[in-house]
Amino acid sequence: MNKLTSFIQEQRQNKPLLMMTHVVYGYPSIEKSLEIMQLMLESGVEVLEVQFPFSDPVADGPTITTACHHALEHQPKLSQCLKDIKQLAQRYPQSRVLLMSYLNPLLQPGFESLAQQMGDDVIGIIIPDLPIDHHAMLAPLPEKGISPVWLLTPDMQQERIKTVLKHAQGMLYCVSRSGVTGQQAPIHDDTKAQDIQSYLSTIKKYTSLPLAVGFGINTASDISSLKGYADVAIVGSALLNTFNKGGLDAVAEKLQELQP
Amino acid sequence: MNDEGRFGQYGGSFIPEILYSSQQQLLKAYREAMADTSFVQQVKSEMQHFSGRPTPLTYCANLTQKIGGAQIYLKREDLNHSGAHKMNNVIGQGLLAKRMGKTRVIAETGAGQHGVASALVAARLGLECVVYMGAHDIERQYPNVFWMKQLGATVVPVSTGAATLKDALDEALRDWSSSYEDTHYLIGTSCGCAPYPEMVAGFQSVIGEEVKEQSIQQFGKHPDRIYACVGGGSNACGIFLPFVDTQTELVGVEAGGRSNDPGEHAMRFNTDQARFGIAQGFATRFLQDDEGQLQPTHSISAGLDYVGVSPILADLEEQGKVRMTSANDIEVIEAFKLLTRNEGIIPALESSHAVAGGLKEAATMSPDEHLVINISGRGDKDIFNIAKALNDEPFTEFLHSYLKEGAAQ
Ligand SMILES: Cc1ncc(COP(=O)(O)O)c(C=O)c1O
Repeated sequence: MNKLTSFIQEQRQNKPLLMMTHVVYGYPSIEKSLEIMQLMLESGVEVLEVQFPFSDPVADGPTITTACHHALEHQPKLSQCLKDIKQLAQRYPQSRVLLMSYLNPLLQPGFESLAQQMGDDVIGIIIPDLPIDHHAMLAPLPEKGISPVWLLTPDMQQERIKTVLKHAQGMLYCVSRSGVTGQQAPIHDDTKAQDIQSYLSTIKKYTSLPLAVGFGINTASDISSLKGYADVAIVGSALLNTFNKGGLDAVAEKLQELQP
Repeated sequence: MNDEGRFGQYGGSFIPEILYSSQQQLLKAYREAMADTSFVQQVKSEMQHFSGRPTPLTYCANLTQKIGGAQIYLKREDLNHSGAHKMNNVIGQGLLAKRMGKTRVIAETGAGQHGVASALVAARLGLECVVYMGAHDIERQYPNVFWMKQLGATVVPVSTGAATLKDALDEALRDWSSSYEDTHYLIGTSCGCAPYPEMVAGFQSVIGEEVKEQSIQQFGKHPDRIYACVGGGSNACGIFLPFVDTQTELVGVEAGGRSNDPGEHAMRFNTDQARFGIAQGFATRFLQDDEGQLQPTHSISAGLDYVGVSPILADLEEQGKVRMTSANDIEVIEAFKLLTRNEGIIPALESSHAVAGGLKEAATMSPDEHLVINISGRGDKDIFNIAKALNDEPFTEFLHSYLKEGAAQ
């Protein structure tokens, strides 16, 4: 079975919900971002999503966009990023590491070379500006056992969901609402939580792949409303904002508070 | 173009999934509208009665004599309502937005011309209008910002990244991804995901169609060469496309800026700092570094310093159907002066690039050859930048005393 799927399914045997956290490589500095990653892995997050920064991150809101632009001042290199996160993956075998970036930086090495560089350690990739129609571009990745993680959105038509599911593996990234990443539209509003729950239930009818839910997840109650509906809760901007306000200690505290 | 909106290896649609259904809705609406003769007629009628088309093809006797080569003609897009070719596109897209039942339009703008044009059309059609503009461009183009506000539009400064056009475009895309139900994203140039390049170039093609007729009427044949400035590429596509498979040579003029160093110009051709890439919704030639990060650009004219270029032009250039050249900031100011003094026409700094490119080559052509330069817009909006570039001290004094007076009131 697919490496990411089987990992999530195993972990889910003892836990109602797993956590995936997001970090921008190079923000606020390369070293510091590696420290944040380490902290997350030590505190037990099951999946770590490392974003390699891009100058024009159109699917991201202000928090992550600003972090990307700051990170670029340190001139991060994708090849070094992959080396760094592979090392982390090897040091924390109880968790999994995924790469997230936009298409253009990934096109530079090309997907053959990227698959080589990701190897057995970075087992999934998220590319928010690559629509499913272009899945064939990524062929070298699944050939190496690396799962492209595709996004589903609340207003997606059935036909389109089916197209995604035909090519999906690993897990699915279910976007909680329209818009970019960030903190608007938190789901602790009851009717919104119900909308998300029914959207997730609908997707469940079509697939046995694990469902990860992200965009706007911010509080422990957001997370608890996903229990029973999703397999993985994705927390991005909320942790980045926490870091910006209170540094590593605050992140450690927030991770505690968010534990599903 | 094929169904995916590809032009050779360029174009396509590379947008976050959340925008997929609205992009498809737009694609369908555009195709249906263009097949509906009453819609096409409505666009034509607005172009005539609101914007003042057809714009003239003006012969430049003085410049022709002074330069002593080809016969020089100007296509006068500066005479459109709002003073630029941008009007052609916003009329088309504004009517399309209305037809799709949208109540709000968003736009991104560099020089502000597209912002003003969008605000004008939104006011006329009763649409809410929000314009994203780089904070840096707002400083350079405040008069346009002023007019957008007067027209009832909201201007949102974008200070992320380099705070210019590409960042405004990112921000508009972000807005669209949460607002698409009631909002049409009115892109200002022939870039972005399909169908924007085709749609904008389509609405702009009225420029070239008119030149085709006017040139036959005025000098009995098609022009030998046509020059247009290339920012995103909409005025160039507009004047070029009807001539693509004719004998007319098509020449694009990019912003050469201050120098050939990275960040000092906006040349997507004739430089190894630009190459194939996929960003902001489409594939084209982008100015980028080895890691695939899009690079800052510079031009004396805010409307030309875009980091990518129309996929239509990237493809035509690759096929050898369009030749790309450039003019630097100094050549542009010289061309501006030459046209203004000799013909009594004040071109926008963007258009002055096309003038620079055309005049440079006119001298090497023969008197029985005819060239047409697209004057994409008028220079009024550039008064501050031009005064600064020309070191006009009385203008600076005027501004000082005007401000002092304001403070004293
Ligand atoms: C007068 C004028 N010409 C040209 C341009 C460049 O746009 P494009 O390359 O799409 O024609 C602009 C853009 O703002 C403009 O205002």
